[in-house]
Order: sequence, then C-alpha cells, then structure tokens
Amino acid sequence: MRLAAVAACLVATYAHADDYGDVAQLVRAGKLPEAMTKADQYLATKPRDPQMRFLKGVIQRDSGKPADAIATFTKLTEDYPELPEPYNNLAVLYAGQSQFDKARTALEMAIRTNPSYATAHENLGDVYARLASQAYNKALQLDTTNTAVAPKLALIRELFTPNVKGQARPAATATLPTTPAMPAVVAAAPAAPVVPAAKPAPVTPAAPVAAAPAAKPPVTAPAASADASKDAEAAVRAWAAAWAKKDMAGYLGSYGKEFDPPGNLSRSAWEEERRARIVGKSSISVGVDNLVISVNGDKAVAKFRQSYKADALSVSSRKTLDLVKMGDRWVIVREAAGA
Amino acid sequence: MTRRLLSIFWLAGAVLSAAPALAWAQDKAIRQISLVTRAKSIPATPAAGVAEARLIDVYRLVAKGQNRDALLKAESLIRDYPTFLLAQLVYGDLLAARTRPLQALGDVPPDMARASGTALTDLRDESQLRLKALRERPPAGSIPSQFLSLSPRNKHAIAVDTSRARLYLFENTATGLSLVADYYVSVGKSGTEKSMEGDLRTPLGIYFITSNLDPKTLRDFYGAGALPINYPNVLDTKRGKTGSGIWLHGNPPDQFSRAPLATDGCVALANPDLDRIIRTVEIRTTPVVIASQLQWVPAHSVQVEGKPFADVLLAWQQTKSSGNINKLLDFYTPDFNSFGKTLDQWSPSLRSEVSRLGGKPIQLKDLSFLRWKDSADTMVVTFGEVAEGAQLGPVKRQYWVRQGDRWKIFFEGVIG
Repeated sequence: MRLAAVAACLVATYAHADDYGDVAQLVRAGKLPEAMTKADQYLATKPRDPQMRFLKGVIQRDSGKPADAIATFTKLTEDYPELPEPYNNLAVLYAGQSQFDKARTALEMAIRTNPSYATAHENLGDVYARLASQAYNKALQLDTTNTAVAPKLALIRELFTPNVKGQARPAATATLPTTPAMPAVVAAAPAAPVVPAAKPAPVTPAAPVAAAPAAKPPVTAPAASADASKDAEAAVRAWAAAWAKKDMAGYLGSYGKEFDPPGNLSRSAWEEERRARIVGKSSISVGVDNLVISVNGDKAVAKFRQSYKADALSVSSRKTLDLVKMGDRWVIVREAAGA
Repeated sequence: MTRRLLSIFWLAGAVLSAAPALAWAQDKAIRQISLVTRAKSIPATPAAGVAEARLIDVYRLVAKGQNRDALLKAESLIRDYPTFLLAQLVYGDLLAARTRPLQALGDVPPDMARASGTALTDLRDESQLRLKALRERPPAGSIPSQFLSLSPRNKHAIAVDTSRARLYLFENTATGLSLVADYYVSVGKSGTEKSMEGDLRTPLGIYFITSNLDPKTLRDFYGAGALPINYPNVLDTKRGKTGSGIWLHGNPPDQFSRAPLATDGCVALANPDLDRIIRTVEIRTTPVVIASQLQWVPAHSVQVEGKPFADVLLAWQQTKSSGNINKLLDFYTPDFNSFGKTLDQWSPSLRSEVSRLGGKPIQLKDLSFLRWKDSADTMVVTFGEVAEGAQLGPVKRQYWVRQGDRWKIFFEGVIG
C-alpha cells in the first residue's frame, strides 16, 4: 500500500509560517526531539492551533508513539471535525496496528468531510482490500499468519486545509500533490516550493514526446509562444496517455531529471512506487479537462481537472504540473494536486 | 468525486446460475422471496433461520445494485454471526467490490483460492443451494408424498430433501399438515443412500426420532444438541444395510453452517435451527423422511392416494378380529421377520393373541402410515391395537410391501 501524499507546507496564516516551517524542517531532518520541543513551545502559547497540533501528531508517529499520535489526531478530529487530514492520519495509525475497521471508519469520515480527498480514497481502497482479505481468510478458514503484513497508508505530513473558522485560508497556490495514485511517499515539500533551476540534462530516450511540428513557422515571438504552449500541452497529454496505458517508460520519462519526488524518496524509490501502483491496476483512465497552459520562456504551468479512474476508484481533482523545456521537449518538474 | 456504481456479476451469474439465461428472472425471484411470512410462523426462537434471511437480504440488495446498503447489512450480519463463513465470503466480496470489479461469488485472490482446498467451492455450492431452496418453494398447501396419513399423535413431521440441502418442519394440526419452517442442512461427505458402516453417506428412508441427547454430554462438535433417528430401520436391516448413530445435530462453534456435503452421514443444521427443532418436536412420534428429492403433492390428495391401502389395513383388521388365523397368516410374507423371529417362530404368538381376543374386534388407534418408494413400494404403519372393551393396548409398527397388486406384511412388532 502506498503512503501517499504530502502536503506542501501551507500554513494557516503567514504569520506563523516560519514556526511551522521550522518544525517541519526539523522533522524532515530527523531531529524529532527538537521538533517536538519546538512544537510544544509553540503550543504552550497557542494550545488550540490545529497546524502545530497536527505536526505534533506526525512527530509522535515518527517517534514510534502511535498511541500518543492517535490521541493527538483524535482530539483534532473532535476539535476540528471539518478537517479531513487528522482522520486520514488516524486511519494510517489504525491500519499500522491492523485495526482495519477503525481505519475504515476514520477514512470514511475524512471523505465525508472532503469528498474529493484523493489520499483518503486511495487509502480507503487499500483498507477495503485488506478487510476483504481478512473476510476471505475467515470464510475459507485459512491460517492468516502469512498475510498479516500491515499495509502502508499515506500519511499526511502537514495540514493543507486549515479551513477553520477565524483563520484565513491561504491565498498562496495550494500545492497538495495527492494524485489519486500517488506513490507511497511522504513528501517533505518546502514551505515555498521552488522549481529548481533547470539544469541541462540528457533527454530520456523512452519519453513520449509530442513530435515537434515538422515545419516550424517563421519564428516570431507570439508564434513561438503558441508553439511552446502546444508542445507543452502535447507533453501533458502524452503523460496522461502513458499513465493510462501503463506505459511505464513513457510515463516516467515524462518527468525531468529535476523532478523532485515527494518526500525524501530517491528518484528510483519513487519510480518503484509508481510502477507498483500503476502496473497492478487492471485498467486506468486519465482524463485531462479544462487544460490551461501558461508559458513563460522555457517554463510552463499546466492546470487542469484530472479525472482518474483505476478499477473501481474514480477521482476527479485539480492538478497542476510545472514543466520545463529540456532541449526540444517539455518535462514535468513538479506535480501538485489542488488549485 | 463520483464513485462508479459497481456491478457485481456474481449474483446474476454464479450464485443464480441454474439457468444463466434467466438471470434477470431469477433476480426478480430473489427479490420476491418473502421473508416476512416465513419469519411470522417461527416466534418461539427468533434466531432460527434469521441468519439466512439476512444473507438473502444482502443478496437482494446486490441484485438491485445497492452495494453500499448490502455492505452495511453484510457487516452487521458477520458481526452477529462471525462464524457464518458464507456471510464472511459475501462480506469480503462487497469490500473487494469497492476496489475492483467482481467476476464471481467469492472472487478471492488466486493464491488464497488455491490454499483453501475445496472450501471456496463448498461455499459457492452452499450459496447456490440456499438460493435454490428459497427460489423454488414448495407449492402452497402441498406436502411430501410420503406423508399419506398421520395421526393426531404425530404433532410434527420432518422431511429432508438432500438435493436441496433443506430440512422442512411441519406442524400437524386439525386441518392437516402445514409447513412452518425450513432450514439449510449438511449431509454426508459422500452423499446419500447409506448402505454400510463408515461409508460417510446419509440414509434415505422413513425414520423416527428416537431420543434427545443432552448437549452437555456431547462434544462441542455437535453444537446445540442431537436427535438420533432409527437408522437402520426394518427395511434397511432387511436389505443388509449396516451402520448406526445417524443423528440430526448442530454445528461446531467455529462453523455456523457447514458445506452441503460435510458430515459422516448425519444431518447437521445451524445451532439456532436445530435448537428450534429440539424445542418443537416430540421424540418417538416425529417421523423424519429423508429423500434425495421430495415429491410435493396437494395435502388433500393423499387421502385419495392412501385410500386403497387404508382398505387393505381395514381388511387385515377385520380378518384379525374374525379370528381366522389361516386367512390372517396370508397377509404376511414368507420372509417375514419380527425382531429376528421368522414367520414360523413368530406365528404361535399371533395364534395365541388371536385366541385371547376370542372373536372380539380390535381397533387401530392413532393410525399413521407413510409410504416409501424406491426399488420397492413399502408402507411404514404405526397404531395402537386395542381390543374392544379394553382401555389400553400395545403400540405396534408394521412394514408392508406391495407385491403386484397385493400388500403384505414383512415386519410386525410392539414398539411401545
């Protein structure tokens, strides 16, 4: 099972961005005691703050204190029942303890709270599969010891939607790369995601690239931009097509070398996750609607509504892809769900 | 976010697969099975038959495409009956259906199916048999053809149709025999037509419940208790059949219900169902017909059907009353046997009985006769034989066989 999603650090209010960012940074660096100290200091003055309490739950979980983490997230669901993330993480913790019925209930709450919450849907799919497996084992009176590997559900690292009364919703572009089939990754996205400067990189040969028009029109600035937009669009559509065809070479080749896999995953680990997630599906369809592409030099941003269907799962969500031009092809360097 | 409504193929397919072309009609039939009317007549132990009714309810929801409701009901069903393995299988399917389309009932991963041996096939068979028995109901007002004539002493009667894995419980009232409940049962691993000890088969024939074993004296394996029947009966013994200890009994704690072919020859029921039977029926007077396929006939028709044999019985009664011993002996077959005595060894006691009567007529009280037809056509007759003027008389049982157009007695004995 995947651990998916990650939220980029979107903060409830800008005023506290540094505090959240600092704690998140410490967590990413593995400095859990320091992160906890800082989180506790912050909470001493703002005991109800959902974002920091959420981070604290993540720290407790990472520190191997699932009971504490469950208590923290449970309290958050009580105080902020409109937030889906604490439910999701409760489910992750319950699943880790093989309490799949509780995990299911928590995920269903997450989805009730936010029906388009892709991570919760994906996690719920895994929990359903595991519950089915348990029921089958009982039905067939099989020894269950060899199937007892707990699935890894996607933990949300930071609150994305602190849409809590009295708190301003962030105006910044949301970056919640919770694609429906996001890999089991804990993203440690920086507070202000920066697209890495494009470095020259060899073109991946297997990448599905929309062929550049054979005969280019005379180079004029607007025409070039129109071409660039067309090419970037072709790259996005090729990416979606490769994904749907489970053409892993084409799919993975759509991502540039600079693509920063979510979380602390290496590129190869991320690719492995994607492969496991995609190849196992019996059928996938990826729809790209309302595609809007804005090109700025050799960078482009593609925003669209992604309709993802895999077997029984069907999720429609907003998707943003940042692309850069590498030689004559556009490659993805950042992928985010949400606005 | 929209979740695609899942279509589950197994209901129309594997589960109701008797005639796949008619799947739509079967769906309809399933929806129309009335559980309310069935439940109404079993107030004594509400638990009897309830688990199956709830399972069928889940099936019905699936047939209507209401998978979410089906899942909720399946979940509560397995919470109440965690060892109802078929319900677990269906619950697993409904969970799995939320992540992938299903191809068949019990769409378990292949490695699991392989590891399970015959368990998966058994559960599918169980499902099919339960549905079949509920889909193909006995016509209203009909009874199994074996029950030609029951006496008021037979307050209940039981018939088992092994082809349907079903036990039917009847109440015998002033207005006749009426079906009060029916339950899924398991029979012998090797099927039916028991003929020898250890053949793992369930006997076919007409039997009576002989006792009620206290569950405290039984292993957990037998569940709620046991009602032994009189296998081998007189006909079985005459045919050289061996074996013993054929019971109606309950199920072990880890299996609410067992595979259709699972026992060593007994008839096994879910514990609530057996419990209901134990609390209802009387020992000795409750007939148990076990047939590979019951023939259902209109209840009023058996009177006509039984008339010729009733006339034969009347002739025997009149002959015995008349004291004409030679004419009386003509009713008995040459291979007659009474608890090991041949006709020659037994006829002296018949003579002295007749001479004691001294021409006083006899009456047959609480007469019942049940007909068993296989390669032979036989009658199992029970009555109290009371001489005129007497208050009491022995309870006798006779086995008759039809030879051409004549009925003859091949067993007669006092049973109580």
